[in-house]
Amino acid sequence: MLTKKRKFSGHTPTWCPGCGDWAIGGAIKEALANQDLDPSSVGVVFGIGCSGNMNDFLNAYAYHALHGRAIPTAVGLKLANHSMPTLVIAGDGDTYGEGGNHFFHACRGNHDLTIIVHDNGVYGLTTGQVAPTALKGTVSKSTPTGIIERSVSPLAFAISQGATFVAQSFAGDIPHMKEMIELGMRHKGLSLVNVLQPCVTFNRVNTYQYYLKKGYRLEAGYDPTSYSGALVKAIEMDEEKFPLGVIYQTKSTPYHEQVPAYQQGKPLAQIPRVSTLHDLIEEFR
Amino acid sequence: MKFNWVIGGEAGFGIMSTGITFAKIVSRSGYHLLDYVEYPSLIRGGHNAYKVTIDSTPVHALKEAIDVLVCLNKATFDLHKQELTKDSVVVYDNEEFEIETGFIEVRVPFKKILREEQGQSIMKNTIALGASIAVVGGDLQILTDLIESQFKKKGEKVVDYNKLFIKKGYDSVVQNYKELCRSIIAPHPEPEEQLVMTGNDAFALGAVIGDCKFYCAYPMTPSSSVLTTLASWQQKAQMTVRHAEDEIAVINSAIGASHGGVRASVGTSGGGFALMVEAISLAGITETPIVVFLSQRPGPATGMPTWTEQGDLLFAVHAGHGEFPKIVLTPGDVDEMIRLTAEAFDLADIYQTPVIVMSDMFLSESHSTIPHANVNRLFASSKLNRGKTVSNPTDRPYLRYKVTDDGISERLIPGAKGHFYQANSYEHGEDGHTSETAEDRKAQVEKRNRKQKTYLTNHFKMPTVYGDLNSASAILVCCGSIKGVCLEVMNERKDTAVIHFTHVYPMDQKRLKVLFGSSNKHILVEQNSTSQLGSLLRQQTGIDIEKSILRYDGRPMAASEIIDQLC
Repeated sequence: MLTKKRKFSGHTPTWCPGCGDWAIGGAIKEALANQDLDPSSVGVVFGIGCSGNMNDFLNAYAYHALHGRAIPTAVGLKLANHSMPTLVIAGDGDTYGEGGNHFFHACRGNHDLTIIVHDNGVYGLTTGQVAPTALKGTVSKSTPTGIIERSVSPLAFAISQGATFVAQSFAGDIPHMKEMIELGMRHKGLSLVNVLQPCVTFNRVNTYQYYLKKGYRLEAGYDPTSYSGALVKAIEMDEEKFPLGVIYQTKSTPYHEQVPAYQQGKPLAQIPRVSTLHDLIEEFR
Repeated sequence: MKFNWVIGGEAGFGIMSTGITFAKIVSRSGYHLLDYVEYPSLIRGGHNAYKVTIDSTPVHALKEAIDVLVCLNKATFDLHKQELTKDSVVVYDNEEFEIETGFIEVRVPFKKILREEQGQSIMKNTIALGASIAVVGGDLQILTDLIESQFKKKGEKVVDYNKLFIKKGYDSVVQNYKELCRSIIAPHPEPEEQLVMTGNDAFALGAVIGDCKFYCAYPMTPSSSVLTTLASWQQKAQMTVRHAEDEIAVINSAIGASHGGVRASVGTSGGGFALMVEAISLAGITETPIVVFLSQRPGPATGMPTWTEQGDLLFAVHAGHGEFPKIVLTPGDVDEMIRLTAEAFDLADIYQTPVIVMSDMFLSESHSTIPHANVNRLFASSKLNRGKTVSNPTDRPYLRYKVTDDGISERLIPGAKGHFYQANSYEHGEDGHTSETAEDRKAQVEKRNRKQKTYLTNHFKMPTVYGDLNSASAILVCCGSIKGVCLEVMNERKDTAVIHFTHVYPMDQKRLKVLFGSSNKHILVEQNSTSQLGSLLRQQTGIDIEKSILRYDGRPMAASEIIDQLC
């Protein structure tokens, strides 16, 4: 297991000591190794930010995309080669801010991607401005009198817009993260794993202690298949209560299985050029 | 024998489909054509006009004077009477309105026929088609064949219903105006098989020939019909066509698909292209092939959505922050659009960089005829050159951004066992890992830049010269769809020649300087207000052309206005 995991290790990370990203990176590798995957069999699209910097630390067929655009890039990659499990690794600013529109529509489309969001409430790489996940009133370099907007509600948003697997985990709990990521990857359709991740350098509010106090594992018997129940659970975040586990899961055919080319039974990249133009030309006669 | 047929009416009443049906009759009868649709950015309520210029030889430019004007409403006559001559035929219904005298009148009782046959008002077009065929001496059988194939899905009743109104219109003219009926499109005994298509259709067809497997777009006039055409071909062409949430998603998902190993393309107009620009730069540094179809309309901002302009040439050439190679192509007609689109997919793969294929509303939406055999020949000869795209790398370890003499590295399609790499939007070393060292930065910048030199040596094509540059007293210099009107000027003024750019960026300074020489006979002909091709020529080659003929009111350039300015 350890050797399998090690295959995914690239360069030594440059994250701050104590940063939640170290544990997320470790959990991702464990989840991949546990599924008997290797760096040649996984596609990963990274956003821009501290989380996206994992591009150099994780071995895979990777694409380090533009800020905010990791999701559409991954949508295209998956449609070109649906045989490859495809991950998106990005931050909260990337996914819920700059790329909010793409996140919204990726949920609607139920694209078969696993989106792992590093939710730390700040823009770390640009030295600590508020993220859209920051609580109303949070003081930061870009909001010296406190942020006016309320925080986004990512889990409720994802559930209501069509995501078919929505989970939340905490960077202080590697086994739980590994489990959520693996469940997300095994799920067919769009899976979101929102990871609460303390930024030890720039976020003095959402610390490990904060999440240990306000986070809790979903109670035994919780039913993730109930849409309304999941929404009620998801909006607890607005009251600074953080449920951890699979909040919502439902079955629905992913996007790539519904495009006409899927009927060919092989990835788009392996379908040869048409052999005749005859059928297309007719309408121009 | 150039001949102009024009039909006009209220928007939303089928003017467009009537026009294209007429154009197909012309083509099937063995004649060439070029058409043009004038319409406001409205679905209902405005004025639509559809012009078809017919000739026995290929039509490069629209004729100005109207020979037959079919008026489905009074506004059509009022808006177009300036283009009529005393020999023009005006088809109208005098029960609906009166027209000024001085033209040849053909009165067709549209209203009465509709009343008697209980037809809906949209059938007025069908009557007009029948009447038009009679006036220009077309073959009614060709029209009914077309109607049958058009409506056969809707059942025999609908076919017969349409045939009835065609016959009514046709008979009305033949019975009352036999002496006015001319044989403009009398069927050729053995017509060459032709296709009637727009520049947008041509791009779609070129994309299929070029094995584009992923096309993504957000609708934007005048590029939208590429999206709808390719979407309707998804099964037949075995490709995936996606209408994404916005142009940013459009290009990023196409880049993702291209990274995954398929040939990918996007289409838009200026405003949508503006949103794509950051990703053009992304494709530049990650060295991901991408073909962008950019159909121009007058800007800035929303501008004039349904009119034509070449105002985005410099924008396309300079699109993207940072420095990276890019190829911009400006096909001049439907035939060149098919060819250059297929070529664009090769160039994108060979140079692993963005290739922009430019069009404008006039080329994108006007139909013209092209021999069917040309398309077949092109398809048969198109070999799909994927350059250094590989499914298994030559070297171990594999280096995605290996520094090479020609600037091009092997591009491994993700999935090969035993390998992995990252395509990186950050500056990187040869293996793709992020690097900010001065050595890596310089090596990668220079490597990318070398691709431009390689292109200029291996694939750049000099502009096409029409006519004799030495004997010409004026040489018209142009790119894109302006080619047609310049060739028309050449037909009428034998002392002119034309230089037309298709491979407009980057330019080969040395070879172009030789071509242009020290002559001062050059005149830029452009559909913009600042002579952007002139600026590009100066910037790329130092060639400085002082004289220019520019049009920027959204209407296509006419041959007469160029000739008037030739002195």
